[in-house]
Amino acid sequence: MNPMLPLLTLLGGSVATPLVGMFSRKIRFEKIRDAWAILAFLVTTCYFSYLIYSGKLPLYYAVKLEPSWASIEIRIDSFSAYMSLIFSFLGLMVSIYSVGYMSGETGLDEYYALLLTLVAGMIGVTMANDLFTLYVFWELMCISSYTLVSFRKHRWEAVEAGFKYLVMSTIGSLIALYSISLLYGIAGTLNFSELSQIISSGAESISTSTLYFIIAMIIAGFGVTAAIVPFHTWLPDAHPAAPSSISAMLSGVVIKTGAYVIFRSLYAVFFPTEFLYGHILILFGLLTMSVANIMVILQKDIKRFLAYSSIANMGYIILGLGVSTYIAHFYPSDIAAVSLALLGSLFHVLNHAVGKGLLFLGAGCFIKQAKTRNIAKLEGIGRKMPVSAVSFSVGLLNLAGVPPMSGFWSKFFIIIAMLSHPKDTLLHTSTIVFVVNILVAAGYYLWLLQRITLRKPGEQLSKIREVSPSMVIPVAILACICILLTLFIAPVLDLISGPVEALIGYLHKPEAIGGV
Amino acid sequence: MFLQVFYANVALVMILIGFYCIASKRNLLKIVIGIEIITIGVNLNILAMGLMENSVEPLAQEMAIVSIAIGAAVAAVSLSILINVYRHYKTLDTRKLRRLRW
Repeated sequence: MNPMLPLLTLLGGSVATPLVGMFSRKIRFEKIRDAWAILAFLVTTCYFSYLIYSGKLPLYYAVKLEPSWASIEIRIDSFSAYMSLIFSFLGLMVSIYSVGYMSGETGLDEYYALLLTLVAGMIGVTMANDLFTLYVFWELMCISSYTLVSFRKHRWEAVEAGFKYLVMSTIGSLIALYSISLLYGIAGTLNFSELSQIISSGAESISTSTLYFIIAMIIAGFGVTAAIVPFHTWLPDAHPAAPSSISAMLSGVVIKTGAYVIFRSLYAVFFPTEFLYGHILILFGLLTMSVANIMVILQKDIKRFLAYSSIANMGYIILGLGVSTYIAHFYPSDIAAVSLALLGSLFHVLNHAVGKGLLFLGAGCFIKQAKTRNIAKLEGIGRKMPVSAVSFSVGLLNLAGVPPMSGFWSKFFIIIAMLSHPKDTLLHTSTIVFVVNILVAAGYYLWLLQRITLRKPGEQLSKIREVSPSMVIPVAILACICILLTLFIAPVLDLISGPVEALIGYLHKPEAIGGV
Repeated sequence: MFLQVFYANVALVMILIGFYCIASKRNLLKIVIGIEIITIGVNLNILAMGLMENSVEPLAQEMAIVSIAIGAAVAAVSLSILINVYRHYKTLDTRKLRRLRW
């Protein structure tokens, strides 16, 4: 099947949304527009599930133009299909949720159009086979998310947070573009496979310090969106200010896109066997999770609480990447530990996308009914809204890493990989910090669970009822997925071993990944 | 070769000026101008990297043109958010926009 199909569906759907909205207003049945967006996401999700199921990866597609330099290459390997499936599935859930959640708002044509563009940008980032195409789709994603964060422009909070996000993220993107331009100056091409060949073969003629400068700028530039700690300050403002559905998208998938680009560019272009950056990534990961876990405890606002815990979870993912690159550099024969760390990291991407999407959507249900974000005022609301509360608890238990749940296994894999070299001091110390962080995180998740669901509801919550079905259904589906991931963990790990092999494959046979 | 180094250095200086502008100015409009200066510096760097004898490589030209278009889109979004900031606060002074903390 044509690899451009999902992009065309989403972008075409986005362009057509205002027309569909106009039509639906004319016949006075505005749900047609919502159904339109849901349909576009459904097609995309089915496409990627089919792609992974059929196993015909990697797929190539080149837009050949007459002067050969203008052609664009699209390449879907199992890593991009895996990430795109998560993105489009969460987009589907959020669009179903928005039918109920956004029903009282104005400007919904723009909302759905931007939501479709956001997911199109993320899918384009995963599919791009050269850095400049990646950058174009990256900006498509960023611009639509700036607009969605400040969507409720009649509130001061949304506007201020949106501006802060815009300034920080734009500077990050520009730093990344500067590093891409330097890379172009060195290699004369931006295609991933050609770049990796030029950099690994001509390592003597290119000064190493320039390459390390480029690596640092890639990590810093894309790390702004991935919320690595010194660059994280936009996130706890932007998540609470956005509508809950958009917070779920931002926290579930947009920050994962930043992590994806770091994974892909480091593994595909700067081989970890030749360049040493693993220890920096480990330190960034530890710093991210420690700072975020301390900050979570101070929060009184439920969405800021969840936003800071997203930063902590990004710390786990970055740590997993750092551990895999560190082991690949110093112990290149130990492929098992490298792939185990990558497996844990990528599995945590899935767990966190599903779990944090669920938590933000569930928190959105509570906020919609109680009209407050203060945790103290939301105490005991779970007793009044049983379905949302049970799903919310499943999400909390999953992210807390309570042993049978899948959130436990992803962290466990990273720890096992870190302990595979007992004489390595850095890995050893960082394991201790990591385990302490996991325990602190489990503590505050269970504390939130106890306050939301087990306390007696207060006076002000006496008239609360369950939200409309279109809001409950996606929350319940996501909770079911959390449980299914736990029950069928073996097939899921089989699925993730595809992306892990795609990344490990870069280390050993760079010539085999080139053109078709 | 001399021209390439010259342009690359000019681009770097422009990027640093943009950073200085963002870090030191208190007016939101001037921050947006700082972002634009960085964008122009990066675009100039792309062209400098693609510089040949008498012309610029077509790939670099293509990238610079697309990047200018993206920069224009970012500027449009940032100015529209800025108008909304002005409606709420009646000022563009960053010292007055400090309600979000922690």
